[in-house]
Amino acid sequence: MSPLARVAPLDRILLPVHRWVWNDFDRRVRKLLAFAEVESDGGRDILRAAEVTPDALLRRLYLEHAIDELHHGDLFRQRGAALLRTRSTRLRTLFNGTPLPGGHGLDDLSIQDEPDHRLLAFLHVAEKAAAGRFTIYRDLVDDDPQTRAIFEEILRDEVFHMNYTYTQLARVMPRSYRWQVWRARASRLWKRYLRVAAGIASVVGNAVLTIMYFILLPPFAWMARRAERREPVGWTPISRTRDDSPTGQY
Amino acid sequence: MKVLGISAHYHDSAAALLVDGVPVCAVQEERLSRHKNDAAFPAAAIEWCLNHAALEPADLDAVVFYERSMLKFERILTCALRAFPRSWRSFPNAMKNSLGEKVWARGIISSHLGVPRDKILFTQHHESHAAAAFLTAPTRRAAILTADGVGEWATLTVGHGERRRDGRTDITLLREIRFPHSLGMLYSTFTAYLGFAVNEDEYKVMGLAAYGRPTLTGQVGKLIRRTPDGAFALVPEYFEYQTTASRSYSSRFVELFGPPRNPYDPIDLETADGRRFADCAASVQRVLEDTLVDIARALHQETGLSDLCFGGGVALNGVANARILAESGFERLFVPPAPGDAGCAVGAALYADRIYLGNPDRDVPDHPFWGPEVDAKELARAAREDDQDVIELEDAAMIERVADELAADRVIGWMDGATEFGPRALGHRSILAAPHSHEMRDRLNRDIKYREEFRPFAPVVPIEAADTYFELPPGGARLARFMSGVFPVRPEWRARLAAITHIDGSARLQALEREMAPRLHALLEAYGRRSGIPVLLNTSFNLSGEPIVTRALEGYSTFRRCGIDVLVAGPTLVSKRATVRARPLKEDVAWWSGSLAGSGGV
Repeated sequence: MSPLARVAPLDRILLPVHRWVWNDFDRRVRKLLAFAEVESDGGRDILRAAEVTPDALLRRLYLEHAIDELHHGDLFRQRGAALLRTRSTRLRTLFNGTPLPGGHGLDDLSIQDEPDHRLLAFLHVAEKAAAGRFTIYRDLVDDDPQTRAIFEEILRDEVFHMNYTYTQLARVMPRSYRWQVWRARASRLWKRYLRVAAGIASVVGNAVLTIMYFILLPPFAWMARRAERREPVGWTPISRTRDDSPTGQY
Repeated sequence: MKVLGISAHYHDSAAALLVDGVPVCAVQEERLSRHKNDAAFPAAAIEWCLNHAALEPADLDAVVFYERSMLKFERILTCALRAFPRSWRSFPNAMKNSLGEKVWARGIISSHLGVPRDKILFTQHHESHAAAAFLTAPTRRAAILTADGVGEWATLTVGHGERRRDGRTDITLLREIRFPHSLGMLYSTFTAYLGFAVNEDEYKVMGLAAYGRPTLTGQVGKLIRRTPDGAFALVPEYFEYQTTASRSYSSRFVELFGPPRNPYDPIDLETADGRRFADCAASVQRVLEDTLVDIARALHQETGLSDLCFGGGVALNGVANARILAESGFERLFVPPAPGDAGCAVGAALYADRIYLGNPDRDVPDHPFWGPEVDAKELARAAREDDQDVIELEDAAMIERVADELAADRVIGWMDGATEFGPRALGHRSILAAPHSHEMRDRLNRDIKYREEFRPFAPVVPIEAADTYFELPPGGARLARFMSGVFPVRPEWRARLAAITHIDGSARLQALEREMAPRLHALLEAYGRRSGIPVLLNTSFNLSGEPIVTRALEGYSTFRRCGIDVLVAGPTLVSKRATVRARPLKEDVAWWSGSLAGSGGV
């Protein structure tokens, strides 16, 4: 294990969950492909940071960082795809034409609006957490040398990312860089809480809407289907007298 | 009178500003946010437009949203009801998706801009497409055809428009085909089936089609039947997009065409599966073309007009456009540079200005360059800070230098003036290269664009030389103005234009008038003097998965990450130095980290 990539206590507790994820082929592929999306999106966001920072050194470092992240995305994507090819019969259950889960690595950060010190602190904390987690993942894929090698390579880069973000933070905010890191940790925790809360709200919302769907909708569904049967196919004339009020949303 | 047009919330949001009936600027949100096909409310685009025109939101006379959001919600709800109970999984997400933001367009606009609610107007989605196609075209009377995936209910409309001598404008949409019957959705379904991204990669299907044979048109014909009135209807059993957002094709579709492509597998045309996918693409392309040609031909016979304006996302299909021009009977076909939903921002503003507000007709400048200007000084500063070779040259010397570089097989990142509005790079944000060899095509695909081998590159040629190298039908040069048509490369030139000649001998060319992009035109002539052929390979200045660059620094970061040799912005030219490498920088930082490693941060 890299001496700089410490595993967070929470991740130690969650070790059985991580093992459950990585021991299953489908979940492993899904995870790798999801990482590919997250790393690529994160890379694009850091690229954006390189484009907007006024600091020449940071621009070069962000650019390096972005290139690394985009490369990690490619590594994960290629490995996920290679694994998929070995078990092509599972494709249908895995994908079914549905877009993969993914998202912007830094999507809750508006890069243009963040000063460099806040972005550096955020990146430092995020990279450190990712390095800790990737260390666990690397150890859990011992049966798969190629995937393990990818984690090894990425971990080396993560150490560079952790270091440069911290040293540069110390350079741009020499008096308060430690405070900035703590602040980033607190912000990360808060965002994690918000994500969990939003997830719970989404589940509750889905449940309520599903109940409404089955209780309230059947008569309207019957009427909608009756109306559909009366609809002509082909051209529908557009009435010149149709309500075309400029201010109407209908 | 100042009118702001907005398109948002589905894909490719944008804003456009009209002052006294003439567009003064327009930009897609993705070009500013740097998220490809950004569908978010275009706050940055609006802000840029207002700043560009030195306006405050309070100065606006009207803000026009490009569709009627409640009517769209009605369609989504109705489709969920019709699919009951199969729609139970998708219903909660559809409701959350719509009710979360999309149906509250008036409130969102009002809260973002602080404009009174009575200044916020709405057009129908296809009215916006129609206005974007007709009111930006240099014609006074034309038939209008719009086709896309779906707007509110309409998926395809036909009509006509007239700009009268007295200044009044008429746009009359006569009839429509309604959801779920949609040519755009048919094509998008195949896009998904072939493992590409819906609403984004449809052009890949068109590119792949050239590698296949339309042997499956019979099967595609089972999905779409022609109705006695000359329209069409999709057979719902083969589709699921009308009932769920998670998959667009049904199991019956898969039974008909075989297993779908794994998006992560490359398309290998040497394998049976690869050929099957190419044949699928060729077949749906053929059916799309045939259907559009029939509809356009009937519209020509009905209206007796010589011009057709074609808008909507389907109008991005250059192969179909060329066939419409050749076979429908229309003499001229106008496709705007942004026929998709982004262009609806311009269309909605124009529609409201001419039709709702009754303002007199004005000619709209016939070019696509409505976005932010490039700042060459920004590029020079950044490149010098990074120890790159930077030189600044007068215009004529710059053209000669770049032509020399191109003749030496170097790849140029070319930024000039205002960015294009729409998905095509039309000479202001382009990657340019010599068009002569397969090696150049492969190099661009491998080292610069990082994309599939089967995708072709487009050429740009001075309009006066276009006919020498390409077989342009009457009206073809106009269609090629914004790269909207695919035409054959003349057989005698194919070997010398190998990098831009597709497998079927065609090319999606841009025929460039000097007035539209004078510097690029001069560059083509200078390159022609060196190579004997005034044609360049012109591909959009972006990498895979990224929007086209807008600012100089975005061009510069792209230049640093790929195999572009030379970057040009206005009078500034940057050559890539082989000695500027990442590793020393990493080592430096690792060394710095030693002094802080014990400080507890890491």
